Amino acid sequence: MRATRIALVALGIALLVLGAVVMQSTVSTQHIVGLVVWLVCALIVHDGIIAPIVFGAGLAMRRYGKSIPAAVLAILQGGVVLGLMLSLIVIPEIYAKHLGTSNPTVLPFDYATRLLLLWGGVLVATALAVAVYYAAARRLKNRPSASHD
Amino acid sequence: MRRLLLEMRRSLAAPSRNPRMATVLGRLLGSAFVICFLTGLYSHFLQQPEPWMHFATRPFFLYQLTQGIHITAGIACFPLLLGKLYSVFPNLFQTPPIRGFLHFLERASITLFVSTALIEITIGLLDTFQWYPFPFYFKQVHYALSFILIGSLAIHIATKLPVIRRYWFKKRSFDENGELLLDPEDRPVTSEQIVDEIGPRPEPTAPIARRVSGVTGRIFDWIDSAPPPKPAISRRGFVTTIGVATAALVALTGGQSFAFLNGINVFAPRKQGIGPDSLPVNRSAKAAQVLTTAMDPDWTLTVARQGTTMEFTYADLKAFPQHVEQLPIACVEGWSQMATWRGVRLSDLMATVGRRDSEGLRLTSLEKSGAYRRTNMGAEYVQDDRTLVALEVNGQTLDIEHGYPARMIAPGRPGVLQTKWLSRIEVL
Repeated sequence: MRATRIALVALGIALLVLGAVVMQSTVSTQHIVGLVVWLVCALIVHDGIIAPIVFGAGLAMRRYGKSIPAAVLAILQGGVVLGLMLSLIVIPEIYAKHLGTSNPTVLPFDYATRLLLLWGGVLVATALAVAVYYAAARRLKNRPSASHD
Repeated sequence: MRRLLLEMRRSLAAPSRNPRMATVLGRLLGSAFVICFLTGLYSHFLQQPEPWMHFATRPFFLYQLTQGIHITAGIACFPLLLGKLYSVFPNLFQTPPIRGFLHFLERASITLFVSTALIEITIGLLDTFQWYPFPFYFKQVHYALSFILIGSLAIHIATKLPVIRRYWFKKRSFDENGELLLDPEDRPVTSEQIVDEIGPRPEPTAPIARRVSGVTGRIFDWIDSAPPPKPAISRRGFVTTIGVATAALVALTGGQSFAFLNGINVFAPRKQGIGPDSLPVNRSAKAAQVLTTAMDPDWTLTVARQGTTMEFTYADLKAFPQHVEQLPIACVEGWSQMATWRGVRLSDLMATVGRRDSEGLRLTSLEKSGAYRRTNMGAEYVQDDRTLVALEVNGQTLDIEHGYPARMIAPGRPGVLQTKWLSRIEVL
């Protein structure tokens, strides 16, 4: 394992150096500064904004959903995360289309309407999953054999 | 401070935040990064080849496949990366924050890794939307950053190798009841540990200290008062959510590159079949400033080798034997589509000026300006019988948006090199 680790670190350092050389030779200093600003902002946005919000939302769901079964909470959380994950990709697309495209074959759809429909679909799918869970739980509870076991 | 960091780690602990989850997501994400890196390098060198390089022209859909995978895997990285970051988030608050020089390097490399990964996939996605809000050029930065990303990935794997090995297999990670088997050092911090190590929360003495420690204390108490999650359900829910999100993104956008997903292409920035002659367009005739030159009835295609120069009118090209080929147009931005092209076989045309088999070409477009106005074509593409100077597509005379009067179409090449509005072909 030691040899593997040393080899990986050596490979990593070689690639970092190569990346730095390529960057330095093809990107102007002003643009590198811009890139560094973006790199730092990415960390701030993720670690300082997205992660705490996700943590807070999960906590709030557990607090205010005390009477809701854990599996139902997990399904609800899954639905919200799924919708947000797709929104994360599609919202910039809506904005890019709003700014205008170089020709009509770029971003050809009405992405905002489609995203709304997707949220509707996620809502329906989540409700169905919850209904299936409750039905299965009821059947398990009412199973005649359960009381005899 | 140490207490605060420990309390944060304790509060952030969750069943889905464990080294097994980090390993499972990490190997998926790592594979996606490596796939993107290799397909990206291939695309880069196709466009900027070293003089000694030769490329495969078969299978004819090779570039369509590699670049489709590049973009689709890149999109799949979003849920995988966010899920992975979620699963390791408490480690951000480790204490002591830095335990020595090596530990400092480890944390620095992870910081670099996380930020490059976030930026690399974000600017890649925005490029497919042709939206460039960032203060640097996309192509150069995306390329240079890829080495930094894969370099820091290698270092990350090296530092985490013991954890990866420990939690690689399901059998070693769970007991027979499905409970996670964690080594002592991987268990989340508990309040007993904090009390053992630092003692109970101090009673604040001064009024300001009381208010400050009172606030953090109340926050942690409030967090603690929430009912604890059920480990197995919470873990399974997390894995399912990340899996469904990844599958949904791939399914709903992959249709721009892979025809079998075309029917459920809901969110991709391109759609197969949309455009003039049922083909999408990247650079328009207007942007290339060829609206008059391309429609000029006196247009000729110049073919040159050393002292010999030949001029071919549109009618001359039509008089050559016409060949029909099925070839994809495959863009570096990931979208691609098969089309039926008809035109003059390039090797037939080049025979008129006595081109030798090993000689490559320089292609010039009518475009006024642009990075791809003049490009080179390796001998392997000229030799390939499927390479055409196309005059028709899908049964129609080329639309001006697709390069009327004549464009190049060769197997396995990026769309930007399939020169539209051809003006001159020169043997090098």
